[in-house]
Amino acid sequence: MRTDSSQLRNIGISAHIDSGKTTLTERILFYCKKIYRMHEVKGKDGVGATMDSMDLERERGITISSAATNVTWSDHQINIIDTPGHVDFTIEVERSLRVLDGAVLVLCSVGGVQSQTITVDRQLRRYGVPWIAFINKLDRVGADPLKVKNQLRDKLGHNAVLLQIPIGLEDKHEGVVDLVAMKAVYFDGTQGETVRMEEIPAELRPEAEKRRAELLDAASLYSDELMEAVLGSRETEGQIIEAVRKGTVSRGLIPVFMGSAYKNKGVQPLLDAVVRYLPYPAEVENYAFDLDHDARQIKLSPDPEAGAVALAFKLEEGPYGQLTYIRVYQGEIKKGEELFNTRSRQKLRVGRLVRMHADSMADIDEAESGDIAALFGVDCQSGDTFVKTGLNLAMSAIYVPEPVISLAVLPVGTKSADNLAKALKRFTKEDPTFRTYVDRESKQTVIQGMGELHLDVYIERMKREYKVEVETGMPQVAYRESISVRAEFDYTHKKQTGGAGQFGRVTGAIEPLPDKAYEFVNEVKGGRIPREFIPSCDKGFRAVLRKGRLIGFPITGVKVTLTDGQSHEVDSSDMAFQAAAQGAFWQAYAKAKPQILEPIMKLSVESPVEFVGNIFGSINQRRGLIVSTVEDGIFARVDAEVPLSEMFGYSTILRSMTQGKAEFTMEFLKYARVPVQIAEKLTAEHEGKTKKDQAK
Amino acid sequence: MLREELVKRSPLRILETSMHGGLGKGNVGVLASRKGVGKTACLVHISTDKLFQQKPVIHVSYSSRVDHIINWYEDIFKEIAKSLNLESTADIHDEIIKNRVIMNFNQEGAKTEQVLRSLEALIQFGKFAAETIIVDGYNFIQSSPDDLKKFKDFAAKIGLEVWFSASLKGDDPLFDDLGLPHELKRYLDSIDVLITLHSVENLVQLRLVKDHDYPAPAELRLGLDPGTLLIAEP
Repeated sequence: MRTDSSQLRNIGISAHIDSGKTTLTERILFYCKKIYRMHEVKGKDGVGATMDSMDLERERGITISSAATNVTWSDHQINIIDTPGHVDFTIEVERSLRVLDGAVLVLCSVGGVQSQTITVDRQLRRYGVPWIAFINKLDRVGADPLKVKNQLRDKLGHNAVLLQIPIGLEDKHEGVVDLVAMKAVYFDGTQGETVRMEEIPAELRPEAEKRRAELLDAASLYSDELMEAVLGSRETEGQIIEAVRKGTVSRGLIPVFMGSAYKNKGVQPLLDAVVRYLPYPAEVENYAFDLDHDARQIKLSPDPEAGAVALAFKLEEGPYGQLTYIRVYQGEIKKGEELFNTRSRQKLRVGRLVRMHADSMADIDEAESGDIAALFGVDCQSGDTFVKTGLNLAMSAIYVPEPVISLAVLPVGTKSADNLAKALKRFTKEDPTFRTYVDRESKQTVIQGMGELHLDVYIERMKREYKVEVETGMPQVAYRESISVRAEFDYTHKKQTGGAGQFGRVTGAIEPLPDKAYEFVNEVKGGRIPREFIPSCDKGFRAVLRKGRLIGFPITGVKVTLTDGQSHEVDSSDMAFQAAAQGAFWQAYAKAKPQILEPIMKLSVESPVEFVGNIFGSINQRRGLIVSTVEDGIFARVDAEVPLSEMFGYSTILRSMTQGKAEFTMEFLKYARVPVQIAEKLTAEHEGKTKKDQAK
Repeated sequence: MLREELVKRSPLRILETSMHGGLGKGNVGVLASRKGVGKTACLVHISTDKLFQQKPVIHVSYSSRVDHIINWYEDIFKEIAKSLNLESTADIHDEIIKNRVIMNFNQEGAKTEQVLRSLEALIQFGKFAAETIIVDGYNFIQSSPDDLKKFKDFAAKIGLEVWFSASLKGDDPLFDDLGLPHELKRYLDSIDVLITLHSVENLVQLRLVKDHDYPAPAELRLGLDPGTLLIAEP
């Protein structure tokens, strides 16, 4: 067990789907003696890999939920967060990255840098996470690790440097040459468990020397000591490792390792590399907001004596209640101790504290700064900060994008209806990008998310985990309404039919507001609208923004400036001014050339080059805009911007037109104006629906 | 200034006049110089000028990453907009992006036939009616006159013009008495317009050394402004 934080690594394993990440994780668990038998994803033995804890993941061969697990390697503890590969679940990846100190990016030796790799690279960059590369599947036909290393340089602009070269490729893949130790490494035993170091085969010697020279060149930039030693040809392994470590931690250098997890080759040297080159928690600077001092950012101290600060980064509802995954950033958390949730302002007691291993767990008494652990039975939300009582700090909120698609769900049978509520409660707690509400008019339950696949997965989970059968409506795009020009209002709300009257007059203007949903500016002078009624006006404007008049979707990007008004001593009231604001808004809205906005997605399609024509055609038919293409002779990547409304069922279409050889990723990019013809169609549909509802 | 006026006052009109109305459909033009003199800046300016005229452009790059090329376009657009006080820049910028597709190829991996197939697929199936193709980073040393001829035939078949950049790498003198680069002589049959760039005392001069079938072209009154990297009158 570790004695200090330099013996701890918190790492994530990120990858493009199908690059063999789950198999690699499984092998890591095996070599670290956490499991005693290995399975494969979609295993023939009917048992999936250990890290895929949900049935659905096992069936689809993909990893959806990021399960945390803890292993020991060379007297170091490694916490591994298994991250999902599909971009629809990006929030899971982002939440995992937030708590990591380093990552292993797995690449397929045939597919190389693919669209998902680019997304993950962008996320690693956003959170400043240092990473090392593992080129997997060297046993596959067409394996070309050098090409993949060059793609890391050319396509992603990274200073990628080989630390190994392969001994044989495809069916002749035997092992790797370690360019630091200058030894050939083989993996013996039925499961590759015995690592054998040999002299480098003579035929690989010149290549190994050439690549080592490249490695020394790159590493020398991070160590004067190494540079001097290299000039005198007396460099040591320790000097090289230290220099590569500096380069990696500063994100200036990406060390590249390789092997075949499936064939049990190259995994143990990768674990050595995690320990050698990725940073330990105390090396990484972490910050929190001090809520007592205007949310000023303060640096957290890894000192175990400092007050505890921990972030709840993932929630899971299990058979024994809610499991909360936490990362401790400062101090230590002990069993039985009292903590304070700075969001809910509630105290909580640490009951059971556990270290997770995919589906099983081990009880622990304390978790120190840098640790990843899980708490039982704590009521909280994802993203909450727990601190020692007396502190008032919040870790920065994890960025949560707005959902872009919604789907009405209708439970079949009363039992399903009861369970549906339970399922939705759990999913919304676990995943902040999954939301739900009951539509006031149709009384239907609506679920919202980041893409078609995202919602599909939850529908499946409802069936499997909660036995909820649902009928679903057509997926609905989250349109918005906005205005395109400035328009003035001058509106009087007046009612005097028996009882107390109502009076309020408001004057001002509305105008387009880019990059923001709403802004209210009060420029009323001389108390023409009494001060207490100004918030009433604001409230009135906010209320109307919830539902536009073109197609009934929320209105966004509006600045309201209130310049003048009038009140009545007796008849003016909060209600009267709210009503005046609402009337005023609709008066100006019609003049402000309202328009419909739709979500535009960033689409990235990868396919063998022979299908690019079909892909261009499919994008064009979907009102898409082709931005760029990248071709390397065999594969092509097409990047485009497409309206989400045109993309339903695209995966099926793409599969059929490319014989299943292409794949795509899609993520929200921006809102943009809907073309006139489509806007007219949407407006007509909305009018038709409204009339029908009124007739009812 | 309005867009139409900006197009009218562009120094590229001088270039067109100098070469008898422009490059023309079915023709191949080449900008040649040593590395780092300003070929990419010139190509992106020529391309942006077409985009200002709402003429779609395909930018083919054999060397730079897509994001680098996008940055080139952003810089050149900003400089043009700034130098001529362009109005409604945001709308024009959005429109320009719609008329531009960047295609990145690896010359060792992607053969000319495949590149042309992909270009044709974009024009035909992607319904992208390009009038100009810009080809940057093409390696003339590794390539052959046959390959360039394939581009020229393609330009004639589809009815568009193609601008190349050529990086000259040989020993001095790079040019013969007529100003033609020695390295490009074997390609001259497929080149309709050839412009060379020369670095002279902090200035980059443009010289028209081949102009369709017209005899001995005159000196161009154009250079590359080292501050803005735009083609400009000296």
